[in-house]
Amino acid sequence: MTGLSSPASPSRFLIVLLGGRYLALDAESIQGVLTLEEVGSLDDPMINGLVYRAINLAERLRVSNNQGTANNRIVLFSERGAHGSIRVTRVQGLLEIHPSQVLPLPSQFRGPERRWYQGMILFAKSIALVLNSSWVLDVQVASVEASGGQGGISRLVAAPKISMNNSRVC
Amino acid sequence: MLRTLQNYHRGTARQSYQLLVFFVGGRRLAVKAVDVSGIFQWAEPIPVAGQTPFVTSVVRQGQTVLPVFDLAASLRLTVQGSRPLCLRVKHPLGEMAMCIDEEIPILHTLDPAALQTYHGKDLPADGSYTNGLDEIPILSVSQLGSTES
Repeated sequence: MTGLSSPASPSRFLIVLLGGRYLALDAESIQGVLTLEEVGSLDDPMINGLVYRAINLAERLRVSNNQGTANNRIVLFSERGAHGSIRVTRVQGLLEIHPSQVLPLPSQFRGPERRWYQGMILFAKSIALVLNSSWVLDVQVASVEASGGQGGISRLVAAPKISMNNSRVC
Repeated sequence: MLRTLQNYHRGTARQSYQLLVFFVGGRRLAVKAVDVSGIFQWAEPIPVAGQTPFVTSVVRQGQTVLPVFDLAASLRLTVQGSRPLCLRVKHPLGEMAMCIDEEIPILHTLDPAALQTYHGKDLPADGSYTNGLDEIPILSVSQLGSTES
């Protein structure tokens, strides 16, 4: 179901809160977590020469996220040469689990959300929905592919890992 | 968590239908007892952003996560009572949960001769029966979520 790593190796997820929902992001795609102060006034954070275009995930998921607090964080992530940043209400921490612990989204969900999520993880007394990074970065991936890898986004240069401030291991 | 309302007709009990009669927004509905896997206290649903009509959350029961079909919303009703119940049903795609009124469901045995076609379009039904002046639809669990009622 997960398709995130081999069955033997554990999977790591960054658990975030957005619009009152727990979401899980594949930690392999996470490049860093910044505070709003660290991002400053930039809409699209630029880190080490790479632009992490802001993605309004709340709007894409059609959930409200107007809880602007000091706990808000900007999560930087990349996949297949595309880079994006999303603003979340709060970062809950990192979670390492066996891939078999990622439950499939029930088949009764039959809309486009089947592309949005890769599954569910039991988290606290709730669940965290595993986001499909490719879907989140869809526009960026399409843009990179359309430009044949040109356009200033360095496809082959790996962005350095940035420390994840104020995260806690669950 | 059930009351019984026996309506046996001698000689037809073997072919009779066992129904569970429950309430949503004060409206009386029925479901085949074999389609029901449990009745619990309703737990706070966990929203899932998506676009499937009336399937917009899940409930967690221990290690099990069940999709919720919002039957009340599909009928444009509001569940009644401060302590609603969770009706767990056997859907072909996997078990589902529905929030129903707090009024305790009733087990009802229906003579097949009393089964009639349900002509309403507001919910998928396997038929209906008449109780006094009320026509009570028998919810077709297998068709739940397959139409955008």
